[in-house]
Parts: sequence; structure tokens; C-alpha cells
Amino acid sequence: MTQYAKDYSVGELMCVALAREIDDGDVVVLGSFTPLAYASYILAKITHAPNSTLLAYAAVDFKPFQLSFIRAESSATRGAACIWTMLEDLNSVHLKGRGDVEAISSIQADGYGNINLSAVGEYDSPKLRGPGGAGAPEVIKMHRKMIGYFPNHSKMTFVPKVDVITGTRYVIGAEERIKAGYRPGPIRYITNLAVISKEEKDKPFKIDSLHSGVSAEQVVENTGFELEVPKDIPETEKPTKEQVRLLREEVDPYGTMAFDFKPGKERLGYLNEILQKELEAIGYA
Amino acid sequence: MPTESKVAKLSDISKIIKDGDTVAIGGSWLGSHPMAVIREIIRQKIKNLTAITVVGSIDIDLLIGAGCLSRLMFSFVSMEAFGLAPNFRRAIEKEGLPYDEITGLAVIIGLEAGGRNVPFLPYRGPFGSDLVKFRPEFYKEIKCPFTGEDLIAAAAIVPDVAIIHATRADNTGNVQIDGTSGTDVEMMRAAKKRIVSVEEIVSPEEIRRNPAKTKIPGFQVDMVIEAPLGAHPCSCAPDYVFDPWHIMKYMQAAMSPETFQQYIDEYVMKPEFEYLEAIGGMKQAAILRRLAREVKFL
Repeated sequence: MTQYAKDYSVGELMCVALAREIDDGDVVVLGSFTPLAYASYILAKITHAPNSTLLAYAAVDFKPFQLSFIRAESSATRGAACIWTMLEDLNSVHLKGRGDVEAISSIQADGYGNINLSAVGEYDSPKLRGPGGAGAPEVIKMHRKMIGYFPNHSKMTFVPKVDVITGTRYVIGAEERIKAGYRPGPIRYITNLAVISKEEKDKPFKIDSLHSGVSAEQVVENTGFELEVPKDIPETEKPTKEQVRLLREEVDPYGTMAFDFKPGKERLGYLNEILQKELEAIGYA
Repeated sequence: MPTESKVAKLSDISKIIKDGDTVAIGGSWLGSHPMAVIREIIRQKIKNLTAITVVGSIDIDLLIGAGCLSRLMFSFVSMEAFGLAPNFRRAIEKEGLPYDEITGLAVIIGLEAGGRNVPFLPYRGPFGSDLVKFRPEFYKEIKCPFTGEDLIAAAAIVPDVAIIHATRADNTGNVQIDGTSGTDVEMMRAAKKRIVSVEEIVSPEEIRRNPAKTKIPGFQVDMVIEAPLGAHPCSCAPDYVFDPWHIMKYMQAAMSPETFQQYIDEYVMKPEFEYLEAIGGMKQAAILRRLAREVKFL
């Protein structure tokens, strides 16, 4: 009988929900350093998906490692089975549609499967110039699933129509995807309130599950695009006691994952705390 | 076996990089950017460059802040967990820096096309992206001549110069990269001239002991510069990690043009060995190397 945790953070809940998206045998890719995604993949790899292949930086099939703010790249490199250039990576995984999951986030997302990492406001004179999409605009189409995570489910993020379409899932329905040479899979967004997904081009996102204590109305109110609200919505599966223990003691003892959930002005202080702990761990005080 | 030495000093980069050049900059995210060469570009006041990056960070932000760029081609510029890149944002939001935002795969495939000496390469590209619409000079929707399938053509990118930072090379320019190589190999193939800075110049015999590690052969390299810790404050995996303490200092300084100018004066406008002293010298280097070694597998 599965023992669910009673004490867990929303970050841990999201992390476990993302880990559950990874099936054993999946090819899983990491782009920018995002602690939540790293923690999810590593958790999946050491629990239910030991045969998944993890890729990050140039490192292919890296051994699962203890997460750190500074050492993700050297950990992945030192534990890699193979080192690729970016071109080898995309030739081998992305272009062939061989990737399963590469979690993304976005400044804005809408109900059509579009993401915006470019600009808020006018493209040529933006209110906010975003970082750009790197590989995200293309991989969200190519990989089997399009998985997004959003620590702040709000109408600021989930808008009726993104200001700029940096990228889009483009082919959504199963039949359409197979015809276009891609494997079918959902668009699924894991947020701090719920899990929502879309599997047909002409149908809206549907609420899959609500996190404990969150109502469907709350999700609808905080979403700027249309949502299908089923009559009976299950609660998002809670993390198990063992998953929470693994996250806290093995995968992320420094608490890097919580970084994404800190308000802007608290981030620097929190980062300094993590760095101090990392220094202490290697014998510098 | 070629014997002509390509070893040069940092100050020699102006023999290759000229005002107005298009310069592809290696490295990715906070890893392996050729920062010693970037600082030298600023010291020598080389201007009006068009920088090309796939996933840039402090390399691009520093060049923008120092006024070296007149145009930028990128798929991503960010200081990652430290926040958005301050000079990059300011230049685009307030100062109208001209730029070409291209999806990551299109930059990589465009460089590959440049390296193959063809005007474009097709792929199942980012249909539906506004970037395709905004930059028709880099994307064309085409039909496969065999099957009729809709494809996207990514235009070839041929930089005047590529600059990368690597683990080691010999004096004729055979380059080995132990860790993250980003798009460095493709940039070097595509560019007309190439500069590599390395942690260490080693003997040709040492290179030949591990030929599988050689990612770029000497004939694709024009200049080799020894620059230990030359990626700082970025990482050079697996030898040293990025320097979060320096990057935080940088982020603070880059908040305003005035404080940023102080950063340039204090860290950049001095010889490279003084930069290495200013960031904490051998002690800081030892910490960054130790952090890179002490990793824990589960």
C-alpha cells in the first residue's frame, strides 16, 4: 500500500508530478539549468524509470547525481556515458523525434500550445525582453510529449493569446502527429495549482487534476484561456513518503529546487545560503 | 605533420578580429564561453561587431554593455538562475540594439550549412513560430523536391571569425574538449577565421595519445592562445565550475550603466593576469576546481 506524504511543499508536488511524466525507457533532455526539472528527472531515474536516458549540456546518459546549484554541469559531464556536441544531440534525438520529455517553462503560454519566451508587449519595442527560446520553440513539437511547468499559475502567464509566438506544438492531435512524422503525446502543464492538458487541436485544455485544497473555480479564475472543467476532477496524486525523503535527503539536500518558488527579492539571499552550504560540504567554511 | 606554430598572445587577436566583423562566440549557457578573448576585445576597443551565439550569457551581456556590438544574432541570452541579462535587456528595450532572434536549432543547422558550403539546410523546422515570419532572411518555407513535404530551410551562417574556449590544444591547433562543447565545433567549421583559447597548450605527442578527444583538427584553427581559467566567470567542465560569487557581483554592477562602467574599469581594462588576481587569484581558482571535482552520484 502506497504511503503518501502528509508534509510536502508545492514544489515537491510539482517535481513528483513531472517525474511521473517520465516512463521507463524514455529519452529525457535538459536545456537550461532548471533545478525543478533536474530534480524530477533524477528522482524518476532512481525510482520508477531506471532505464531512462538523461541528457544535459553535452552529457549523454549521465549517472544520477546529487543536485547542486553550481555543480550540475560537472556532475553530468563526469558521469556521462558519451559526450556530444549540440549538433550530434539534435541529429540523434531532436530531429528524429526520439526525445520523450524536455520540460519547458515560458513567460506566457496560451490555449493553442504557443509559448512566448521572446517579448512581452510589441516585439520590436518590448516592455520586457525575454531570454529567447533556445531549443524550446522546436523541441516542443518534436518530442513525444510537450511538458511545461509553471510555478505561478496566473493570468499573467496563461494568457488568451501570447504576445509573440516564440514556438508552438504545431501538430497536436494523435493522427496529425503521426502523419507529420512525430509520435503522439499530450501537451501537459504542471502548475502550482493543477495539472492541465490538451490532446486535440480544436479542443481546449482540460483540468486533469487539482492539487489538494485547490478548487476548479480557482484554476479557471487564474487562467486567461478557456478550460474544460470535467464534472469529477481527481486530486493530483500526492508525493509518496519515500519520494519526499529521496528529494530531501538524496536528490536535493541543498534545497536548490525551492529557488524557483522564491519571490524575486528573496532569491539572492537564498542563493547565498545554498552556496554557503555547498562550500561547507567540500570543507570550505 | 604540420609544424607551423599558431600560438599567439591575447593581444594578437586584433590580427584576426577587425571592426565590423561577424563573430561567432562558442560556449553555452554559463559554460565554456571564451571570456579571456571577450575581455581582450573590450580592452582593444574592437567595435561594431555582429555577435552570433546559440545560448549566450555573460559573454554577450559584457560585449553589449561595453559597446562592442552593433548587431546580435541569438536564440537565447540569459544569466540563467541569476536572472535575465541586464545589458542585453537594456540594449533591446531602451537603446534599440538591432538583433536577429533565431530558434536554437536554426542557428546550429545554419552554422552546419555554412560549414558544408551550402546556402541552406532543410529540416522540420519551427512552423507556426513568429520568428520564422519576422526573419525571412533566415527562414524559408520550402517543399521537399522528392516528396512534396513542407520543410523549413535554415539559411547558412558564415561568420568572419569564430572564437571558442577549450580544454587543451597543441601548438598547431589540434583542439581537445573534455566537457561541454556547445556548438563550438560547428562554429569553427563554418567560420572564415578561427581563434581558440585553451586552458593549456600541450605537446603534439600528448594530443596523439588520446586522438578521440580531438574535436577540431589543426587545419581548422588559425590562432591558439593559452589562457588558464580563460572561461571565468563561466565554467570549463569538468575542470572548474562557474563562479557564482563573481556572477552575483556582475549582476549587481550591471544594474546601471554607471556601475557597469566601474566593473569594466575594475576587472576588464587591465591585463588578464590582473583580472585573475582581482577575482580572487589562486585561492578562488582552487575552490572552483575543487567544486567541479567533488560531485556525488546517487
